[in-house]
Amino acid sequence: MATKKVIKKKKIIKKKAAEKKAAKKKTTAVISNSVKKNKSAGEISKKPKMAIISLTSCEGCQFVLLDLGQKFLDLINQVEMVDFRLLEDEDDPGVNLDLVLVEGNPVTEDNFNLLLAARKRSKILIALGNCAAMGGIPEIKNYHEGASTIKHVYKYIHGIKNPPIKEIDNFVKVDFTFPGCPISGEEFLRYIPELLKGNIPVIPDQPVCVECKKKGNRCLLLDKKPCFGPMILGGCDAVCPTSRMICQGCRGLRPTGNVAAMKNMLKTMITDEQFENTAEIYGLRDDIEAREK
Amino acid sequence: MNIKINHIAKMEGHAGFMASVVNGDVKSAKLEVQEGIRLIEGVLVGREYQDMPVVAQRICGICPVVHNLTAVKALENAMNITVAPETVKLRTLMEHAQIIHSHALHLFFLSLADFLDIDNDIKLIGKYPREAQIAIKIREYGMEIVKVVGGRVVHPLTNEVGGFKKAPDRDALQKLIINSKDILDMALELGEFFKTIKLPDFSRETEYVCLEKGGGYAIYDGDISSNRGLHIPVDKFENNFHELQKQREVIKRIEHDGQSYMVGAIARINNNRSRLREKSFKYVESLGIRFPDYNPFHNIWFQMAEVIHCVEESSRIMMELMHLNLNEVITREYQTKSGFGVAAVEAPRGTLYYHVDVDAKGYIRNVNIITPTAQFLSNLEDDISEYIPKIIGLSDTARQRKLRAFIRAYDPCISCAVH
Repeated sequence: MATKKVIKKKKIIKKKAAEKKAAKKKTTAVISNSVKKNKSAGEISKKPKMAIISLTSCEGCQFVLLDLGQKFLDLINQVEMVDFRLLEDEDDPGVNLDLVLVEGNPVTEDNFNLLLAARKRSKILIALGNCAAMGGIPEIKNYHEGASTIKHVYKYIHGIKNPPIKEIDNFVKVDFTFPGCPISGEEFLRYIPELLKGNIPVIPDQPVCVECKKKGNRCLLLDKKPCFGPMILGGCDAVCPTSRMICQGCRGLRPTGNVAAMKNMLKTMITDEQFENTAEIYGLRDDIEAREK
Repeated sequence: MNIKINHIAKMEGHAGFMASVVNGDVKSAKLEVQEGIRLIEGVLVGREYQDMPVVAQRICGICPVVHNLTAVKALENAMNITVAPETVKLRTLMEHAQIIHSHALHLFFLSLADFLDIDNDIKLIGKYPREAQIAIKIREYGMEIVKVVGGRVVHPLTNEVGGFKKAPDRDALQKLIINSKDILDMALELGEFFKTIKLPDFSRETEYVCLEKGGGYAIYDGDISSNRGLHIPVDKFENNFHELQKQREVIKRIEHDGQSYMVGAIARINNNRSRLREKSFKYVESLGIRFPDYNPFHNIWFQMAEVIHCVEESSRIMMELMHLNLNEVITREYQTKSGFGVAAVEAPRGTLYYHVDVDAKGYIRNVNIITPTAQFLSNLEDDISEYIPKIIGLSDTARQRKLRAFIRAYDPCISCAVH
């Protein structure tokens, strides 16, 4: 663009800016206040140190956090964010952490190293979402062709890491899980203050149905739709059934979830094979099999 | 000399960069992809077709809407299913909203700091609180549309083969329509702010490929077209555009008859800008750019223009929807049958292409997904090879900064590219 034009435009913008000054004041104050707070408390550096790390995933759970907008920025201001590469270019200084959130599956060598290092340096390690907690979509391959699944996708497979997909608790101790695909932003905001204090909360053992009923939804099972709600851990605000989508169990079995009763209930709607297939989508099938033993 | 960046942050997915320069000649420039494989196409083979949109949209947490839409459209084409015009409108609305919130994120939170020499968004927000607030509001507007129509922002729920499981709430749409005017004003204000950002000079001719259709700025459907005269229906895409995997690489690159090419906002604005809505078109004119424009940094301004366009267009579609019977979108009965289907939709980063082969019982025989980033990867590397000599004299840190800015201006989505 020609420089003259830029200067001219800048002048126009300046003029406009002056006109809008009054309107700006309010929002500006809110944000700069929180930033100032961040600075002053940062100097004392008593804030909990936190990091959000991402292994192989769609990064959707991180986006749920980002999508909280101002609420997420307010949270960032209460902590010292040591590593969150979606928002910062600075290198991670590698200091010890109070809390680390881990999203995704370990697939590459870097993923494994990052995960193990995260455990070593952090007091609390949290699985962020279905992939980290239950294996997620990529785990589907475990149930069928395993490593050979790669042949449907790539011609040259030498040198490509293709391990079986395993939940992160196979490699490190996990202190808490934010379940779901993706996680629920509201639930995150509900539990994160306790976690930042070093307390590990417990998600109530109630089915998806509790919130579903509260919302006044018509039960999908009444319409012969094979919803997994009764055996699955609630806390998601029944987001799927509210959109008339059956629960496929992304939050995992609830502690007292009755798989046998669920299977029995669904018998008139789907075959055993279809039940298994649905349970594969979010890596639930291996948990169901373990429960049945 | 080797130029190496271990990890590029503020980008969707994991990648670094490596170039080797001998006597001032760039011998190679390569985005080093560090993303693990998830084998999404592989795990879909043998599954029931209904799983495909659910699984495939989980390729990407920032653009799940477009994966959902393209998967559903490809399946409907495979099984020869026609949906209600209201359904098409609602899907078109979702995609415009997807572009609004993805662009707003990239423009402000991922790319802007690069041109202001700031390395942390908290600092950026502290310095430009008004603009940050506007960017958040625009993003929230796009997300709210996706939520009202799709039931959820990340991995929407309602759209499926044959229509929608649930119609959107009229009152919620009405509220969004009322909100549109303010959002459009904010988008125009942010547009003026972005005009003041000095973007680096660089230019290299390339081919711009995107969807094109008469009567509008093609987003949800159209034919494949380019600035070099290509015009083919979507089902001929794979005749001219070829996926190739190099050994040890997990991204399958796409080339057009052996050449690299570009997709995304810069391609769409170059090819189709005359079809933008009024305010967006004026914004593009006010940039004072002479077209064809081959500066990849301008992708930022063009994304801004598309945000303005998509707000105007979303508002228009929602007003149209208010005059229609929204219950028409509810999934219609259809017959499962065997077939081969293709579909393409303009994702925020460029044309997303799916093909699927379904058997008579609805099991998936084969599926292929070609993402925008896989399409522009070779173009990015070709551009960078020409860009490096211009910045070779800089200090290591300064050079790295420029390269990061360059790569991020492209808005690559590595999670999509390696799926």
